[in-house]
Amino acid sequence: MISENTETRSKKENRVALITGSGKGVGAGIVRVFTKAGIRCCINCNTNRAMADQLLEEVQSYGGEAFIYQADVTDPAQRKGMVDAVIEHYGRLDILVNNAAMQPNRFIDGYDEELFRWLWNINIGGYFHMVRECLPYLKESPLGRIVNISSVHGKRPTTFDAGYATTKGAIRQFTRELALELLGTGITVNAIDLGGCKIEFKTGNAKWVTYHPMEINNPTMERRNLLVVPEDVGHVVYFLCSEEAQTINGHGVRIDNGLLLT
Amino acid sequence: MENTGKIVVITDLRTEPAKAAAEYLSGLGYEIVTPPDTVRLWKEEELTAFADPIKENLYGVIHPAPPIFKGGILEVTEEDWERESNQGAIAAFMVTKVFCGIFREKKGGTMIYLNSLHAEKPMGKGILFSLNCGAVDMLSREAAQDYSESGVNVFFVERGITTADDGRSNVSALYYGTDMRYPRRTTPKPDFLNGLLAFLLTDAAYPLSGQPIMCDAGMTGFYNQHRYKVEGREYFDFRKYRDQIEKGK
Repeated sequence: MISENTETRSKKENRVALITGSGKGVGAGIVRVFTKAGIRCCINCNTNRAMADQLLEEVQSYGGEAFIYQADVTDPAQRKGMVDAVIEHYGRLDILVNNAAMQPNRFIDGYDEELFRWLWNINIGGYFHMVRECLPYLKESPLGRIVNISSVHGKRPTTFDAGYATTKGAIRQFTRELALELLGTGITVNAIDLGGCKIEFKTGNAKWVTYHPMEINNPTMERRNLLVVPEDVGHVVYFLCSEEAQTINGHGVRIDNGLLLT
Repeated sequence: MENTGKIVVITDLRTEPAKAAAEYLSGLGYEIVTPPDTVRLWKEEELTAFADPIKENLYGVIHPAPPIFKGGILEVTEEDWERESNQGAIAAFMVTKVFCGIFREKKGGTMIYLNSLHAEKPMGKGILFSLNCGAVDMLSREAAQDYSESGVNVFFVERGITTADDGRSNVSALYYGTDMRYPRRTTPKPDFLNGLLAFLLTDAAYPLSGQPIMCDAGMTGFYNQHRYKVEGREYFDFRKYRDQIEKGK
């Protein structure tokens, strides 16, 4: 639950957020929490437009403010178009949440250069270039925030997705470097190290063979209450974007229900 | 000599620690082989063509991180992104696939990523270098999971700053006063990891496989702005370098 005070303040701030890959899943959870708190959002989707439309309808039903921009974060022109659209719509940008990512599920042997490069350019290239695109506007914000959605696999191997974990290791260091580089600007940069999350489906798996039942479909994990839901992530991201979190910088917050304690 | 006939590939000799390792290991009897400039490390087919003729005697691979590339996020270009990705994470990925694949067939071998403490500690103005180091860190752990079953040892070495890195004090506050940051009060020479690398090439090192090994001689193992002088003992004094660091920014 978001406290009434926080909600009121956020409405007063009138902040604007761009959340990549937010038509569904974790990104949609963040949009729900943000819009309920009064933050205006750009919902970015690439392929799943219908789900983004559904989310926008839901947001508007409780009086939230958002718009959809369909863009591929690996495409320079589409990235720029999206950020320009945010400025055109709302005149400002305060929060960037990098979330759009893929997880092909392969051993090292299963990757060729083309596949790995493709994954690299989405999972870390998209984050890197979105920051470059948004930074001039974030610097103008009184409360600029960058949150990179990562994974527990940025610190522990997946044992079944070398390419994915490699990109998540890159996000770990990207977050720390960026936080250090932006010290003094007021912008904080943090990461979410996410464990198993209950979402509709993972984009990217469909194109390849999934060798084992994914955690999201694993009823054992669900029974044991090990899965988090997208809104859980949204609440933590919301806190990281608040004024109270000003001194939390360059950090990776693990949200995994304690799964990695063992 | 004990190591005669054992080939160790050092994939990139552009950095001083890599050169020092080549000389030292050669002195121990290993045959050191380096890919020619025509082999692009991010191209699987070129790597495979290079590795095929030597695979019978291939014993170990040392994959050094490329030279540090300086630049903040708004300073680097699309070309910088492409080049650093190629010689960083993508090269490491393909080197891993090709050489660990050979080791798997041979039921043994050692893969050493001679990387940097920037896989853990940020630099401030070296975002492309650090994010690639972080990527290779995770790649090494994945490689250990994927290949260890076949007798392959995988090590990720996070090396500290050496005297050869001193010229980069305009990159990061981390590079100021390095002598005083090291508990021994002296910055190591580029050859300071030679003995460790020789050890990692032996099977006795296998308990260190699969986890990053921070090898910075204690340089980053303390809080550098905590104490400057305690009971007559001097420590790194951040204040001495504050002006220079600000200018460097």
